[in-house]
Amino acid sequence: MATQHIDASTLLSDQQFEADIVIIGSGAGGGIAAEQLTEAGFSVLLLEEGAYYTRADFVMEERWAYPQLYQEGAARKTRDKAIGILQGRTVGGSTTVNWTTSIRTPPATLDYWQREFGLNFSGDNDLTPYFAKAEQRLHIQPWSVAPNANNAKLQQGCEALGWQYSVINRNVNGCANLGYCGMGCPINAKQSMLVSTIPAAMALGATLISRLSVRKLNWQGNSISSLDAVPVDHYFQPRSDIRIQIKAKHYIVAAGAIGSPALLLRSKVPNPSGRLGKHTYLHPTVISGALFAEDINGHSGAPQSIYSDQFVWPENQDKAGYKLEVPPLHPVLMATKLTGTGEQHAALMAQFNQLQVCIALQRDGFHPQSQGGSVSLDEQGQPVLDYPITDYMWQGMREALLSMAQLQFAAGARQVLPIHHDAKLYNSWPEAKTAILQLPMQTLRQTVVSAHVMGGCNMSINPAKGVVDQNGRHHQLHNLSVFDGSILPTSLGANPQLTIFALVWRNCQQLLTQLKPFSANVS
Amino acid sequence: MQRRQFILSGIALAATASLGAGLSIWGWQQSQTADDSNRSVVLSALLPALLYGALPEDATLAVAELERTKTAIDDFLPFLPLRQQRELHQLFNLLANRITQLGLTGHLSSLSALTMQQRFALLDRWRDSYLGVLQQAYHGLRELLYGAYYGQPEHWQPISYIAPRFR
Repeated sequence: MATQHIDASTLLSDQQFEADIVIIGSGAGGGIAAEQLTEAGFSVLLLEEGAYYTRADFVMEERWAYPQLYQEGAARKTRDKAIGILQGRTVGGSTTVNWTTSIRTPPATLDYWQREFGLNFSGDNDLTPYFAKAEQRLHIQPWSVAPNANNAKLQQGCEALGWQYSVINRNVNGCANLGYCGMGCPINAKQSMLVSTIPAAMALGATLISRLSVRKLNWQGNSISSLDAVPVDHYFQPRSDIRIQIKAKHYIVAAGAIGSPALLLRSKVPNPSGRLGKHTYLHPTVISGALFAEDINGHSGAPQSIYSDQFVWPENQDKAGYKLEVPPLHPVLMATKLTGTGEQHAALMAQFNQLQVCIALQRDGFHPQSQGGSVSLDEQGQPVLDYPITDYMWQGMREALLSMAQLQFAAGARQVLPIHHDAKLYNSWPEAKTAILQLPMQTLRQTVVSAHVMGGCNMSINPAKGVVDQNGRHHQLHNLSVFDGSILPTSLGANPQLTIFALVWRNCQQLLTQLKPFSANVS
Repeated sequence: MQRRQFILSGIALAATASLGAGLSIWGWQQSQTADDSNRSVVLSALLPALLYGALPEDATLAVAELERTKTAIDDFLPFLPLRQQRELHQLFNLLANRITQLGLTGHLSSLSALTMQQRFALLDRWRDSYLGVLQQAYHGLRELLYGAYYGQPEHWQPISYIAPRFR
C-alpha cells in the first residue's frame, strides 16, 4: 500500500487536498474519530501540527522529548507565567506523552452538566457502553503490578489516615514498568492513539499530514468551505512560504482545549454565546515534595498507579475539591519545579532519589469563583491563556498543601517541602501545618502547574450557553464538529483521556447517522 | 498594552523608579531582537550563581558544564513561541546593557563584575520584587537555566540518577 503519511515540511509548493472528512488534531479526540470515520467508509485526512515520531525516536530523555513532543517545548505558561502547562504536540497528541491514567467521567460531574448545561448522559445517551468500547480498544485495565515507591507512599499515607484510594486503570499492553511514559513509550506498550487508532485508520486509507498548522477555517453563511494551513518549521513555528488548502464535506476540530478555540478565534466563526475560548479549565495543581530515608526512585516504574479521591467532592460545596496523585520524577521536571537557587537547590537535587512527590489537582469549574480562563491570540495568531486564580481557589490549594503534607508524614516522610517559594523543609506535621497556614497564596509565589486543559468550546443544549451541542456539533456552522477536551463544560475531577475517548466515540456514531446519506452519494 | 512591550514597560518602570524618569529614550525599542553576545554575557553571569553547589569544584569541568548548558539553552530557545523568545531577548539585552544595570541590579557595574553574593541578592530581589515582571523574569530564567543544566546526562552523577539504557 502507498504511504499514507505526508510530512508537510517536505512540501515544496502550494498544495490542495480534498476528503470527505478532515480532522484537525490527532490526540485523544482526533485519533478516535479517525478510526471510527475511516471504518465507516469515509475518506479521512488527519492533520497534526507536531511530527510523526514513533517508538524508535523515543530515547527516554527529557532534553529530546520536551521540545519535540510538547507544546512550546513543555514550557507553555499562562499569560502571567503563573501556571505551567504540559500538553502534547505530536502525532497522538497528549496520549503519546501522558501518564496512562484512564478514569471514567465521575457521575457527579455528569450530574452537574445536566443541571447547568442540560446535557443528559443517561438512557439512550449513556456513556457507559462507550467507556467499555474504549477500554477494550485501548486495553484499559487496573494496573496489576505493585505500585512504585512514589505511588506506594500515597497509598500508605491514605491507609494510615483512613483516606480513600484506588488503583489506577492504565491503557497499556505489555508494559515493562519503565516509568518514561511522559517521553513517549519506547516499546509501544502504551495504547496511545499513535499506536492504536491512527495506524488502524491509515491502514484503512486515511491520510496523515504531520507538521501542518491549520490557520483558518473559511466559512460563509452556516457552512465551512475550506481551510488554510501552513507547514511548520524545524521548531514547529508556522511558516509563511507555502500554503495548503483543504476542502472537505465535514470539518472536525480536535486541536486541544487551547488549540481548538484558537483556530476558531482566528477564523472568526459565529460566537453568539460569547463562550468561545472562555471557561478554559486546567485542574490547577499544587505540589508537595517529601524526603524519605529510603530510596524512592520516582523516575522508575509506572508513573501513576494510585490516586485518592478523599477530597475531590467535599460535603461543603463552598470548598474546592482536589484529587491526589503523584507525578513521575525526572531531572528536568524536578529541577525546574524545586524551589530556591544555588546551594539550597543543589542540596535538594542531591537527594533526588529520596524525593517523593504528591500533586493535588483542583476540580475547577463547579463554583461561581471558579469560572476558568480565556484563550486569546497574540500578534502571530498563536494562543495565550489567561487564568485568574480566585481566593476560593487559593484556599483550596492551601488545604491541598496541608492534606499532602499530612499524608506524606503519615507515610513516614522525614521532611516535607511544599512547592511554594516561601516554604522550606519542615520536620513534622505540626510544624508543616503551622507554616502552610501562613504561606502567602499568590501567583508566582505558590507554584501551580497543569497537565489537563479542558473547555473553551463547551457543549450545551442551549446555544446561548455553549459553542457546540451535546454531540459536539457546532451550534451555528452545520458542517463543523469539535471533538476534543475543549467541549467539556467544566473540568472533570479526573484525568481526562477516557472521557474524551468515550464522548468522541459516541459523537462519531451520532455524526455517522447524519452523514450516511451523503456517504452513499459520494461513494 | 502591546504584548511584546510587557517586559519593556515593566523594566522601564523598575529603572525609572530607581533612577528617575527619562530612561525610556535610551534605545529600548531596539532591544527585542536576538543578540548572541548579550545572551552569552548574561548567562555567563547568572549560571554560576544559580548552579552554585551543583557545578563541580574543578574549574575546567565547571567551565565545560557551563558551556554545555549555554549550548542547550541556545538549542532550546527556538522552540518557544516567538512572543516568549522576544521577551527573553529583551531581558538578555537589557541585562547586558550597562545603562540598565542600576535599575535591575542596584549596581552600576556589569553583571559579570558582581560578586557571587551580589548575584544571589539580585536573583532574590527579582523573586521578591513587587513588580510582576521581575518575578516573571526570575521564574522564567530559573526554569530555562535549570532545565538546560539538568537535561544533560553528563550532569546527573551528583544526583545519582541513572538513565535506563534500553537499546
